[in-house]
Amino acid sequence: MVISEATRSAIDAEITRYPRKRGALLPALHLVQREHGWIPPETARELAGIFEIAPVDVMEVISFYTMFHARPQGRHQVYVCTNLPCSLRGARVLLTRIEAHLGVAAGETTADGRITLGHEECLGACGYAPMMRVDGTYHEDLDEARAKEILDALE
Amino acid sequence: MLTVPYTTSYLTEHFGDDAFTTLAGYRARGGYQAAKRALTTMSPEEVIQLVKDSGLQGRGGAGFGTGMKWSFMPQKTDQPKYLVCNADESEPGSFKDRILLERGSHQMLEGILIAAWATGAEKTFVYVRGEYAFPAAQLRRAVEEAYEAGILGKRVLGTRFAHDVVVHVGAGAYICGEETGLLESLEGKKGQPRKKPPFPAQFGAFGMPTTVNNVETFSHVPHVVRHGAEWFKGIGTAKSPGTTIFGVSGHVVRAGLYELPLGTRLDEIVFQHAGGIPDGRKVKGVIPGGMSMPILPAGQLDVPMANESLRERKTMLGTGGIMVMDERTCMVRVASVISYFFRDESCGQCTQCREGTGWIHKIVERIERGAGSAGDLDLLLDVAAKMEGKTICAFSDAAAWPIQGLLRHFREDFEAHVRERKCPFPESFEL
Amino acid sequence: MAKLTVDGTVYEVAEGRTILQALDELGILMNGVDVPHYCWHPKLAIDGSCRLCQVEVAGFPKLQIACNTPVKDGMEVRTQSDAVRDARAGVMELLLVNHPLDCPICDQAGECKLQDYAFEYGVEHARTREPRRALKKNVELGPTIVFDQERCILCRRCVRFCREVTGTGELGVFGRGDHSVIETFPGTPLDNPYSMNVADLCPVGALTTKDFRFKIRVWFLEDVPGVCTGCARGCNVWLGTANNKVYRYVPRRNDAVNETWICDSGRLSYRGIGSPDRLDRAMVRGELGVLESCGVDQAIAEAARRLRRLVDGKGPGVLGAIASGHGTNEDLASFAALLDGLGVESRGLATVLGDSDELLIQAEKAANGEGARRIGFGDARAVLDRLRTGGLEALIVMGHDVLAAQHLGGLDGLERLDTLIVLDTHHSALERVAHVVIPARHAAEKTGHLTNHAGLVQAIAPAVQAHAETLPEAEAFARMGRALGLAAPGPA
Repeated sequence: MVISEATRSAIDAEITRYPRKRGALLPALHLVQREHGWIPPETARELAGIFEIAPVDVMEVISFYTMFHARPQGRHQVYVCTNLPCSLRGARVLLTRIEAHLGVAAGETTADGRITLGHEECLGACGYAPMMRVDGTYHEDLDEARAKEILDALE
Repeated sequence: MLTVPYTTSYLTEHFGDDAFTTLAGYRARGGYQAAKRALTTMSPEEVIQLVKDSGLQGRGGAGFGTGMKWSFMPQKTDQPKYLVCNADESEPGSFKDRILLERGSHQMLEGILIAAWATGAEKTFVYVRGEYAFPAAQLRRAVEEAYEAGILGKRVLGTRFAHDVVVHVGAGAYICGEETGLLESLEGKKGQPRKKPPFPAQFGAFGMPTTVNNVETFSHVPHVVRHGAEWFKGIGTAKSPGTTIFGVSGHVVRAGLYELPLGTRLDEIVFQHAGGIPDGRKVKGVIPGGMSMPILPAGQLDVPMANESLRERKTMLGTGGIMVMDERTCMVRVASVISYFFRDESCGQCTQCREGTGWIHKIVERIERGAGSAGDLDLLLDVAAKMEGKTICAFSDAAAWPIQGLLRHFREDFEAHVRERKCPFPESFEL
Repeated sequence: MAKLTVDGTVYEVAEGRTILQALDELGILMNGVDVPHYCWHPKLAIDGSCRLCQVEVAGFPKLQIACNTPVKDGMEVRTQSDAVRDARAGVMELLLVNHPLDCPICDQAGECKLQDYAFEYGVEHARTREPRRALKKNVELGPTIVFDQERCILCRRCVRFCREVTGTGELGVFGRGDHSVIETFPGTPLDNPYSMNVADLCPVGALTTKDFRFKIRVWFLEDVPGVCTGCARGCNVWLGTANNKVYRYVPRRNDAVNETWICDSGRLSYRGIGSPDRLDRAMVRGELGVLESCGVDQAIAEAARRLRRLVDGKGPGVLGAIASGHGTNEDLASFAALLDGLGVESRGLATVLGDSDELLIQAEKAANGEGARRIGFGDARAVLDRLRTGGLEALIVMGHDVLAAQHLGGLDGLERLDTLIVLDTHHSALERVAHVVIPARHAAEKTGHLTNHAGLVQAIAPAVQAHAETLPEAEAFARMGRALGLAAPGPA
């Protein structure tokens, strides 16, 4: 999978904002991941060329951060926070119910490729627990019904 | 999600007004006047002195004197100087920086400009955690507005001072909230904290002199400049002036954000402001400052929320993330959640942290399952002791403290698990 | 200079060094002053993550890592205090929490720094009951190295080596926390001319060489100091020997020659010592035209007879000599003396030339080409031209590098010779046309000196006993001289 021209221009624009090229690597990884939902090895290799670092350096970075994926993801990513404040308010029970509803365990993708379900550490919504992050949006003060509603609406 | 905390003060009093999130609305409330005053009528040294006099402490968890930190930047140097705004808020229980970004980005930017003037920084990198998509978008909007209006860029507010702001988005790693871990991540690497010395003021972002401050810390600055050091010192306590935004979560009636003076008592925050425990239950324990800070038991909640008082109770203010646990709560499960977090988030460099967080989690998990034995409790304390004070960064210490706190005050919960070979709190939250 | 006091003894060290560097430069690190460490290495960048090298430094409230603490004049360090020993025990215990109990099947056993330091500084018994992380145990990182992910203690020396020394950067640490694992980029194996150094660097048995895997227990090996003869660098090595056999080369530190490294090809050149194609019997071509085994003195006598016949009949001008950089200075001096005694002027040096790099690898693929040149063996071209134009009737050849592409490229011209005398360690195509073959000794089997590319003279001594029928070339030439009735050569 090759990096599209549009993404490449965006990456080049990012590079100008940093005193050293490599500072734009995280922005570049976000941009690249936006296209396909994950970062395949060939793309990582291409990025390595752009940033003049070894391919393994790019893979190291991808593997370190939870939001970067080295494997294909579903069309939507759903993360339920299971840290302490959320767990105190039933987040783990909610996750179990969501798992049952979607038919997958946290860490897996639904068979139709629609949703990858996971759990995440504190997302900064402790006062509005339990909650989940669906792609770039927070859904807070959840109960089971509302969670299912939101999930069912995802294409 | 709140757009304004349940109690407000100078930081958040206008957050209820949507217009405040725009440049026009911010200006209408006197926004950027403090920055203008600082840049046109005060020398950098005067600004630093003012902030020092105010006693403002960092609000990112370490509580270091802000004016003092700024004074570490070299005055005369050929190298470019940078500021970094730590918006990586990932401490469980903390969600204050989020609202400051969502509703008060201009306020923070004004503080950044004043800090930039004081330290001679030419650029600020705002490192926003990757999951904060909306807060980052709000910030970007504010930055764009600021550039359009000549508040950022070549001639800040019509002066000769130039300053740029770059919004840099993280990708999910708690350790990037550690100062030097952040710098590594900013540079496009894994967020593995650096050995110190050298310190960021000498060798920071891209090797240049850098000061790292928290979102909230910057947000206080325009008010200090606007109203002066004496005014600031009149709020909060003598050693911990100003307000902070406490985040209350867990078993309370009204979980949410509360901007209150430092020194407000913890029980006042929990029982008066946040409405206490629902359903008539009793409190069992409260973590006062975000998950790294040791827990306080029910009998010790009468403590002023300020470092000087909390330290006496063997805990700290941290990021003011107040997590309330009622009498149903099994503290071993709490330990399990906490130790999982630290195990997952350790960067993995230092032996004690990498292996210690893993070991602690495995032991706690085994105790929780009912397969613990008597010697395990002291073993936990021993492993925690081995993790303290000997690593590249304080994450290892932060991973040790909660376990020490839980065993200090709730040893019976652990002993009950060992004795009964199962969790004796059937109504506790599920794992 | 700065004054550094360690455990009560005062030392003078260069400014700007870290405590570990200073101890290393004084030659006392782990050799009088014990500061155990994993991630630090004298030739790699400072890492500071293993935390084992913590020491007490007066004036600091907490223990400091010796690898990253610069020495200040007047600094006082304690390396054996209770606090230090406690910290070390802590690190050791934590490292062993996940480390698999592989000693019985691990090549590193016996030279394992985890074993050593656990024994010396660790706790007496394991307190962990938890299952250890289960990872892959036989990862082929590349053509030369096997990686056991479970044994890895994440000191990251291998990663730094590939980044800083070879610049090939094949290795990285993926993930974080206790799920960190060292890996390569898919499709880019660990494959560079120095790859096997990572096995030396690895303090434990996580990285081992395929070559040495399961071969022999290291406590059976005696380590004899020697020099690699693969090229003109002359990397210093330890020859691991047992049962009169060399099982491996391991680089020996010499900051003036090879620091702590050796190239893979040189490291594996030990295989030449005991290889099945070693010449272990002299041979003479009989009347039927077939090479037949014989005693070495018989071969020398035959060589002398042929040379005497030619010299008496046609003069020394029809004789030529090709020396080899595989011989010692003593071998070459003896050759020169023989040639001088006979009056042979046509002499030259043949060596194989190959790739070189900026690290260690020299183009000249013999250890003593420089030694040969300094003794008077110049370019072989003149000799070989005479061979090709039919001006030579006899050739005395050391080794078989003369067959290399830049010299003869084959046997052309050699068949016409009346006499071809070969002294070599290994069989070669020369035997098809040689009249006398004398089995020589490998550098690992004799005493002598080698001069490397930079003119540094290094001594070698026998690590194994050679086959009884072999001779050092020096001895062979001396005997030949005696058989020819020449005066004994002067001191080499």
